[in-house]
Amino acid sequence: MTENDNNDNNEAGAHTPERVVGTPTAAAEERVVTESSAGAPEEHAGPYRASETHARPEEVQRRGEKAASAWFIIAFLGGIGFLVSYFLFPPNAAGEPAIADPQIGQYSNMLLGGTLTVAMFGIGAGMTVWARQVMPHYEVHSPYDDLASDEKEKGSFSDFFMKSADESGFTKRPLMRRTLILAMVPLGLAPIVLLRDTGPLPGDKLKHTPWEPGMRMFVEGTHREIRAEDLENDPYGMISALPAIDDGHHPHGMSLTDQAKSVILLIKIPENDWKEGMTEPIEGTDETRLNWTHNGIIAYSKICTHVGCPAALYERTTHRILCPCHQSTFDAADAAKVVFGPAHRALPQLPISVDDEGYLIATGDFTEPTGPTFWDYAKD
Amino acid sequence: MSKTTQAPKALRGVGNFIDDRFHLAKTGEKNLRKVFPNHWSFMLGEIALYSFIILLVTGVFLTLWFKPSMLEVVYDGSYERLQGVPMSEAYASTLFIDFDVRGGFLVRQIHHWAALIFLAAIVVHMLRVFFTGAFRKPREINWLIGIAIFALSIIEGLFGYSLPDDLPSGMGVRILQGVILALPLVGTYVSMFLFGGEFPGEDIITRLYMLHVLAIPAVLLALIVAHFMILWHQKHTQYPGIGRTEKTVVGTPMFPAFAVKAGGFFFFTFAVIAGLSAFVQINPIHLFGPFTPTSITSGLQPDWYMGFLEGSLRIFPNTFDFSVFGYAVPIAVLVPGLGVMGMLFVLPGAWPFVEQWITGDKRVHNVADRPRNAPVRTGLGVAGMTAYGVLWLAGSNDILSETFSIDLYLTTYIFRVLVFVGPVVAFIVTKRICLGLQRRDRDTLEHGYESGTIRQLPSGEFIEVHKRNSEETTEVLESKPLIGSTALADDADVDDKGVENPESRKGMGKLRRALAHWYTKDNVSIDGVEAHSGHHLHHSAPEGEKESAH
Amino acid sequence: MKWITARRRHPLAGYVVVILALALFGVGYAALAPTADQAQAQTLAADVPSPDDVDIAEGKTVFDQTCASCHNYDGSGSYDAEGNVTNGPDLRDVGPAAIDFQVSTGRMPSMDPSSQMPRKPMAMSEQDLANLIAYYNAEIRNGESGAEVPYEVPDSEPNRADFEDETAYEAAVEEWESEYDSYIEGAEDTDMGMKLYLTNCAHCHSWSGGGGALTDGRWAPEIHDASPREIYEAMVSGPGAMPMFSDGAITPEEKHELISYVKTLQAEPNAGGVFDLQRIGQVAEGFIGWVVGLALIVACAIWITAKQRAHD
Repeated sequence: MTENDNNDNNEAGAHTPERVVGTPTAAAEERVVTESSAGAPEEHAGPYRASETHARPEEVQRRGEKAASAWFIIAFLGGIGFLVSYFLFPPNAAGEPAIADPQIGQYSNMLLGGTLTVAMFGIGAGMTVWARQVMPHYEVHSPYDDLASDEKEKGSFSDFFMKSADESGFTKRPLMRRTLILAMVPLGLAPIVLLRDTGPLPGDKLKHTPWEPGMRMFVEGTHREIRAEDLENDPYGMISALPAIDDGHHPHGMSLTDQAKSVILLIKIPENDWKEGMTEPIEGTDETRLNWTHNGIIAYSKICTHVGCPAALYERTTHRILCPCHQSTFDAADAAKVVFGPAHRALPQLPISVDDEGYLIATGDFTEPTGPTFWDYAKD
Repeated sequence: MSKTTQAPKALRGVGNFIDDRFHLAKTGEKNLRKVFPNHWSFMLGEIALYSFIILLVTGVFLTLWFKPSMLEVVYDGSYERLQGVPMSEAYASTLFIDFDVRGGFLVRQIHHWAALIFLAAIVVHMLRVFFTGAFRKPREINWLIGIAIFALSIIEGLFGYSLPDDLPSGMGVRILQGVILALPLVGTYVSMFLFGGEFPGEDIITRLYMLHVLAIPAVLLALIVAHFMILWHQKHTQYPGIGRTEKTVVGTPMFPAFAVKAGGFFFFTFAVIAGLSAFVQINPIHLFGPFTPTSITSGLQPDWYMGFLEGSLRIFPNTFDFSVFGYAVPIAVLVPGLGVMGMLFVLPGAWPFVEQWITGDKRVHNVADRPRNAPVRTGLGVAGMTAYGVLWLAGSNDILSETFSIDLYLTTYIFRVLVFVGPVVAFIVTKRICLGLQRRDRDTLEHGYESGTIRQLPSGEFIEVHKRNSEETTEVLESKPLIGSTALADDADVDDKGVENPESRKGMGKLRRALAHWYTKDNVSIDGVEAHSGHHLHHSAPEGEKESAH
Repeated sequence: MKWITARRRHPLAGYVVVILALALFGVGYAALAPTADQAQAQTLAADVPSPDDVDIAEGKTVFDQTCASCHNYDGSGSYDAEGNVTNGPDLRDVGPAAIDFQVSTGRMPSMDPSSQMPRKPMAMSEQDLANLIAYYNAEIRNGESGAEVPYEVPDSEPNRADFEDETAYEAAVEEWESEYDSYIEGAEDTDMGMKLYLTNCAHCHSWSGGGGALTDGRWAPEIHDASPREIYEAMVSGPGAMPMFSDGAITPEEKHELISYVKTLQAEPNAGGVFDLQRIGQVAEGFIGWVVGLALIVACAIWITAKQRAHD
């Protein structure tokens, strides 16, 4: 496969005859010769002189041939086995392939893979035995070419290049040179400009979610609206929820993009466990975080503010919310402040309440962006 | 063996046909005679090459059915358990490959295992090149090409991992998007343009697919070909030994022996990957379930080559985050997400030039260093491996915490310390070991090797018999290069008129001299040591039987 | 020893050591690799026990002997002055589902109340547990507080020790199997079960139910051995650090889908080969890729390039 890859060194030394035993010191040459021809200095008709090579005794070669052939036979059987394995698992009458059953699929995978392994290994082992036992064993010398050109060649090249460059007038005629460069500039920008329509500008898209005042919530995975009493009776309840939206054409009622920003974690926290972060007034309002809860039920964005994994690992005993990706930890009883790990920003809290029929509702959107922190998240 | 002297007629015909058009006889013979030194560690790069070929072939097979589309469909294929589940077309078509295409599951697993082996082989190959100094002149450019291949392969792997749109793969994309968003000023724009809107949008799989099957492999292929052509042109390095010099390479000719061995090795590589794929389940996307941005699993991990990034994201504290005029700069995302990745490529990439600057060594090197003979370089390499290893382990700290019942936060603290202490300790220990080995080499050179045979002298004293080294060993030991630096020479920075260069007393010159001192100071010199000159070796005994008392 | 001493400097000695190490590793892995049948938990499927079948007085004996030392004779638990649990928490509000869960998974009675208990074989017989629960309901429980034992959900496979003869045991196993299968197959909505599991459970117990790490050295246990009833009870009673998923938050039908999803997933054979690496995923895959995959390929490279003596 590699022989043809390369014609690049035609010049680099092709006219230097390949020195098979061309070593700088007589001593080194002698040693190599001693090493490789010790043993059976029989007549050798290969491409190198007999004194450099070491043909194996006919008996060894015959043994090697047998061993290599045995490996190739094994490989052949493996290959046949592979083909047979393929047809062992036909589509059944209903047109469904037998491998659709995971157990059958496993047999199919192991038979196909196992026979393929045998076939490949057989060929590899056979070739190795062939190279090691049938071929003569020897090492030969060859020079490392001097890579740097000599001064004469360099000088000649340089002269030629400079003369031709002058001839072209590229340096002498600045107007032409500069206008050419000028002509290139817009074309160079074109590919970048063409990429403009790969996506919309961010605008304030990252700062809003589908949550609206009065919107109820679904238990995620169902279309069942959740009531306050479903959670408030448990001292330590938790559930993952989405806005109660069914747009009619997405299988889960809303696009994955909308789910990704609006998903929340509803947690019921016993009254005595709240910490001071909950009662401090929220910046710019006279409300507290506790006003945004309902009867001990609090709603946090489920998307980690670090790089966006769902932070959902909630320990009811410590009220820690932990992100399984990078272990940022938020204190659910303390406004989801970061207590450990790489995240910097608390999980945004969704203000919730309950409607006349006892269903949990949002009383507005998140007040800050959900998801990974970005550079201008704090700007309106 | 038949003694063929004349090529068979058919072969001659083809040969002449080609030669008439390309004039290839002479070049052809030269290339068939190309000499390759023998050593198993010289085949590590071949593992990567062969894995790449396997990846290309299996990848083409997979594209026959894979649909890179994020259109939501309700699955009604043959795999019973997930019937009725909404998922993307990408995920559904991957299920089709697994459960409707015979051999599809196997090929998908081969593709994934080959990717893991490909990157592992690249890493060990790079380590081999680094520790033996094979990156030195004239091979610096090939080293840089290698690093580019490494970097692209990681990205290629990440994108491939993301395509089936299963639960963990989608999370990988999410983390990528989170890191992009953290970029100051441009983050939100880059993310919007890459994803065609907000995460996950409806375009990202299609775009990653194009990059994964077309753009990146094309560049990779070009780089690999260039890497290989340069290797071919410059010829492979060799370890020291009899007859092996900077001017002369000793090894097996390309044709026939090396070609057959290399061919056999391809089949071995394929066999091992196929064996793993047959019996060890990898990335069972049909069990994970389709991606949704709201679901997550514990023990979520990227493939191993992204593990160090995952680890650095995990252990980097949020202490350094700050904001300027209300604009956030999340250092805890930027430094581990981009900085650590950058260091992995920039530090090794710069090293050949830094080393050359320190030592002032502008000579051509074709004989590889034994790692012990360049203790500072070897120490730095091991320190780098340690830092990488610590980050890599940190990327699985939840698994470690669970497996060994250690507090999760404690593992984080331990890794935060280890990532700084580990490399320093590793450097010191490695350098000491190298110097110890150098000393032992000098002893061996002087006295021969310890035979393990204990003898009692008539006087009652016990001695261990030292035997004469083989000529090969002597040659290897004597090849130890003298590590010096032009910065430390007496006439350094003095030009031929004897005038001192004023620059050499200033910052960079001083730094260079300090580094050169650090780089060279502890080496054990074998100057003046003559082979087998130790006082207790008796040269009168016959060759090979020579034994002497210690 | 002499044999080794004579050969340890042989040029091939290094390779032999490498090959031996690899072989040893392979054998070691095979020995450690997961076996197909993991021991089933040792409890018995049962319907709601009728008052005739249980003995409240017996239950009191069991409670006083095994529970009261930590949870107090009236089940009020033991607390220090600040109200922190010292030995065992108050049981009066936890409900019978919690009792059944803790005892049937062998976590209670516990030898060391301060540390997290792993799953163990149940320490008492099915009859003792039934009596204990009857006593709890009659004397200790605060009215109707806490969740009931979900008797309609199948429990673990029957235990031979609870039966006197083989025929009765086999009949019970057969009955349990049909009950179990009809429960698992009774689920209809894979998508709902999957979404509920992946959004509420998998972040601790992992996608495969293999468990995961929590903070402070705790862990979320793996749930392969847990019976559907135990999973149900864990959801409604919230053992340890686990939050509660009441029948309001996740209805019984939804719980049925959820449990059926994870049990079906766990029972599914691995289509990709016999070794599933415990379904740990990428960490285990990377490990095997290096220490088996790359190591074997390097071993082949060593064979190919091994030095040959001039005479062979």
